[in-house]
Amino acid sequence: MIDIRVVDCHKSYGQVRILRDISLDIERGEFIVLLGPSGCGKSTLLHIIAGLEPLTSGSIEIGGRDVTDLEPKDRDIAMVFQSYALYPTMSVRANMEFGLRMRGRPLAEIRAVVEEKAKMLGIDHLLDRRPSQLSGGQRQRVAIGRAVVREPRVFLFDEPLSNLDAKLRGSMRTEIKKLHRRLGTTVIYVTHDQLEAMTLATRLVVMKAGVMQQVGTPDEVYHRPLNRFTADFLGSPGMNFLDAVLRLAEGRVWAEVGRTVIPLDRYAFIERPVDGRPVVLGLRPDSIRPADGAEAAFTLDLKATLIEHTGSENHVVFDLDGREVTGKFPAEFGLEVGRTLPVAFDLARLSLFDTETELRI
Amino acid sequence: MRLRIRRFISQLVLSPSLALVAVFLYGFIGWTVAVSTTASKASPRFDRFVGLEQYVRLFDTPRWNVAFSNMFLFGFLFLVVTIGFGLLIAVLIDQRIRFEGVFRSIVMYPMAMSFVVTGVVWQWLLSPTLGIQSLVAGWGFTGFHIDWLTNPSTVIWALVVAAFWQGCGLAMALFLAGLRGIDEDIWKAAAVDGIPAWRVYLHIVVPMLAPVFLTVIVLQSLAIVRAFDLVVALTNGGPGVSSDLPSVFMFDMAFRRANLGLSAASAVVMLGTVLAILVPYLYVESRERR
Ligand SMILES: Nc1ncnc2c1ncn2[C@@H]1O[C@H](COP(=O)(O)OP(=O)(O)O)[C@@H](O)[C@H]1O
Ligand SMILES: [Mg+2]
Repeated sequence: MIDIRVVDCHKSYGQVRILRDISLDIERGEFIVLLGPSGCGKSTLLHIIAGLEPLTSGSIEIGGRDVTDLEPKDRDIAMVFQSYALYPTMSVRANMEFGLRMRGRPLAEIRAVVEEKAKMLGIDHLLDRRPSQLSGGQRQRVAIGRAVVREPRVFLFDEPLSNLDAKLRGSMRTEIKKLHRRLGTTVIYVTHDQLEAMTLATRLVVMKAGVMQQVGTPDEVYHRPLNRFTADFLGSPGMNFLDAVLRLAEGRVWAEVGRTVIPLDRYAFIERPVDGRPVVLGLRPDSIRPADGAEAAFTLDLKATLIEHTGSENHVVFDLDGREVTGKFPAEFGLEVGRTLPVAFDLARLSLFDTETELRI
Repeated sequence: MRLRIRRFISQLVLSPSLALVAVFLYGFIGWTVAVSTTASKASPRFDRFVGLEQYVRLFDTPRWNVAFSNMFLFGFLFLVVTIGFGLLIAVLIDQRIRFEGVFRSIVMYPMAMSFVVTGVVWQWLLSPTLGIQSLVAGWGFTGFHIDWLTNPSTVIWALVVAAFWQGCGLAMALFLAGLRGIDEDIWKAAAVDGIPAWRVYLHIVVPMLAPVFLTVIVLQSLAIVRAFDLVVALTNGGPGVSSDLPSVFMFDMAFRRANLGLSAASAVVMLGTVLAILVPYLYVESRERR
């Protein structure tokens, strides 16, 4: 069942076009993450769905109703803001109750709901405090609590974790995931953090300069990026991009990178390969690993030129005919700079892009 | 070493002004306090120490008591009116109306005028033969009377109305800055929660402006204690002494009635009033900083 439908949505501020041609169908219970660099229009899209910004053209449906001209309060949504936006002069309890009171629910009922949700979020002991007396993580919980008590059809999150320190961010991420699993409510979540996006999303929407680049599961977007921007935006360290030329020989397709020739038998071409076509070959560092000899993988002997230790693994930069490629090696793999060793390439995970359009081919 | 030289230089540069402040501000405060304990008449005489007698005399003087209680009455009315209207106008301008700049200038413009000008203008406006009364009478409403300036029990309103034009702009500017400083997301959260705008103002935004209220109250109160030129220009304390303020009393005693001792005592009482306003404010401010 489709819960939210964004149809041909455009948004301009004066002459500046912020969003172009956004269309998206969201199923009930999905966790959609809008991912993209700062300023690409994620918040604007979220605010349009919430009804906080008018759209220039297009329409929004929530739960089968056209809500394009409805006020935010009538859209059956709740929102969590990056700055938390708690009402600073009210207690935590009043913050959580205010929205329900405005809806004229009986007080006894409101009290019960607030107590229950506060307990669920572990903030029941904070109910009588002011927001200024809370830590960042606690404020974030209260902001989520204020959204949850309304029991809306859709939750909208705008970078809710970006003001927290790295450790707290990790644990709140897990909690949001658990919360979604428990409540089963549809979520739209905005972030520029790819790790958050990959771990939380059931489906990911990658955006750039107001245009949707790719919609898909985290796995699809990570392993089958539809263009070079998406490929580059996800993954750390970033994808290796190598200029290559396609070769058709002996009924097989090859990619020529300098003097090295890479077989593309396992690549699912979208377009028919043409001999001599210049392309960009993309390989994730995860697909470049030490050769263990046993597998029938594609291996090359390469010289290590730089090693970065991250603790759990090492990022090793190799020299491939004068180009740099980065691989992920286990930390316990003994290796020093300058050594040449056999390196295995997982060619099933490779991507090819057009040099001009940067689209997947 | 560089740092020490820098500090030395900054101290050196500041010291003349510190010395001036020490002599001309604190020195003369001390001098005034000293004079208030003497029976000085036209000129200060330190050989006739009378202790607190001048203060006892002061609060036995009916004219002073009128002036002193006028200050509180005028101050209270002035604060209520300027805060009320200042906040109202700030909220209206905060609605992102068109021609915001024009409205802001209209409200702020009187602030640039001297109180003397304001006083004279309102003296004309409230005068029965020149001002509003004769204008309305000219329209045919001959029963219309404004006798604020001549009626001792309402003359204080004339002061409030005239001072309002100046106080309102300051309050409005401070409130508007406060309103503009409020996080946009609070408004958005309230919109999602379905809270009507007037309730957001009443329950969330105005309480958030508490520090601004404090600043406005303190600034306006200090202006009231110091108020002098407006009274001189508008009513000159009259009719009788009914619109006297402490500053006018002090001036009169010192320069017209040749009673320096009593004048100094009234000045010290005014200083005490200012401190009673400022000290708690500075205390609250410094506690909030930490
Ligand atoms: N009220 C506004 N007027 C004009 N431009 C705006 C306004 N709000 C946002 N923008 C512009 O729209 C673009 C997208 O903003 P936003 O949606 O906040 O980006 P993101 O959330 O992806 O960082 C930005 O380039 C921003 O400058
Ligand atoms: Mg944003």
